[in-house]
Amino acid sequence: MITIAIAKGRMQDDALSLLARAGIRLDADQVNSRRLALEDESGEYRFIFVKPADVPVYVEHGIADCGVVGRDVLLESEADLLLPLDLGIARCRIVVAAADPDVMTRAVGMLRVATKYSQIAAAHFGARGMPVEIISLSGSVELAPALGLSDLIVDLVETGRTLRENGLTVVDEIAESTGRLVVNRASYQLKAEAVARLVNALRSALNGEEPA
Amino acid sequence: MRYYIGAEARLRRTIEDAAMSVFESWSYEEVITPSVDYYDLFEQGMGPAEAQRGFRFTDSDGRLLALRPDVTSSVARVAATLLADRPRPLRFCYAAPVFRQQPQSHAEWRRENTQLGCELIGAGGKQADLEVLRLAAEILTRLNLQSSYCITINNVEFFNGVAAELNLDRPAREQFRRLIDTREAAELERFLKHDGRAFSQLTQLTGKRDVIQAARRLIDNARSVAALDSLEELWTEIESLGLQNSFEIDLGDVPNLDYYTGLSLKIFVHGAGASVGRGGRYDGLTGNFGRAEPAVGFVLNLDALTEVVGRRAAKE
Repeated sequence: MITIAIAKGRMQDDALSLLARAGIRLDADQVNSRRLALEDESGEYRFIFVKPADVPVYVEHGIADCGVVGRDVLLESEADLLLPLDLGIARCRIVVAAADPDVMTRAVGMLRVATKYSQIAAAHFGARGMPVEIISLSGSVELAPALGLSDLIVDLVETGRTLRENGLTVVDEIAESTGRLVVNRASYQLKAEAVARLVNALRSALNGEEPA
Repeated sequence: MRYYIGAEARLRRTIEDAAMSVFESWSYEEVITPSVDYYDLFEQGMGPAEAQRGFRFTDSDGRLLALRPDVTSSVARVAATLLADRPRPLRFCYAAPVFRQQPQSHAEWRRENTQLGCELIGAGGKQADLEVLRLAAEILTRLNLQSSYCITINNVEFFNGVAAELNLDRPAREQFRRLIDTREAAELERFLKHDGRAFSQLTQLTGKRDVIQAARRLIDNARSVAALDSLEELWTEIESLGLQNSFEIDLGDVPNLDYYTGLSLKIFVHGAGASVGRGGRYDGLTGNFGRAEPAVGFVLNLDALTEVVGRRAAKE
């Protein structure tokens, strides 16, 4: 049996519908229950539902063989994983946003950046040689500039609505993020056939083919 | 930081003794190297990128020292200097802790790991490669893991041939390597543009003998083909030993270390989330110390093995 860790939240529904198209189905009632570990109808796969940032942890340690998680989370975690498939789901962008669009050119001295993605932010500004102070938050990052906590934010944007409603505009795009299939390095070898079956089923589903 | 107490310490010792007695039965001599040495040694041996993960500090005269981040560098130096006149091949083994800084996030983040390792110096070719593979297999069998391990083999010249064919500069070559290493087929296709289709399949070449046939259909540069030939010869030997169920060819395993020059291998065991050992051929290494000669070896991680074997014993 293969264990797949799924990032809870926005990724979960897209991931489950893609898996269903690949012929891997979960009982809807069970999904809606609060159970955090489920088996699919064939009994070949076990699913665990965890916070996005924990998916790379479970997979890197081999507790889960595979996972479905956004590229944003992977960039932030720097976990050592295999990434055989871009699932193209839950597409969004990681951007730098500000209340004042000219803040980057006008600023003298150190800019403050509020973010949930401190690694990504540090790497982005570091590569440009911009001295910034990173302020790590765990949610509602869009509030920070309005309340004077920071000059900039680095955050995930899907439609841009939350940014607009909080008076922020995108000043730079760091990366695009989509849901990825991640695989543990040891499972990739030790459960090679089962992992290949999953990868091929998902690849066929992405190409619009019927499950075998 | 990890304590082993009582039964656990005993188990760890048993595993160490089992590995060392297998090494000894193959005429490998134990070597004990200094725990602290000049940082230069490790930089020459491992290359700057890997050596930087060592813990460094200065002596009273200001010279840079390091806690050994590997044993291979020291063994290569001693072979090229103190033992330069000894008849070849040299066979050495060791059980020794190494110290490395690791990102906290990683599954293998421990600062201290004990390596059970061997080096076969002054012998090239298929027989030497096969010898260390058989040694690794025998140790794992001695630990009752005979149906639970998988050793993946590759030849880094396969990748080097492809990278040369694509005429990549150094940063691009590193990105190419990283994309193959993490099996990012879609990104690889985008990265290579018009060459993408064929080469992106490199990420999927894992399996038995058929992998070599598949690779031959994709790649025809002389360097990669020579690597495939030598892998195929090695595979034939593995089959004749009846070990093919425990081995895999993985052309997507492109190790980080610049120093591998031929065979590369990784060792996996059911129950361990990361590889428990690795190794390969590093014919360029001893040349850094003034005497170039072929060399091949591997290390097993004693701490990871103790955990796996201990957990299996607890289950039974």
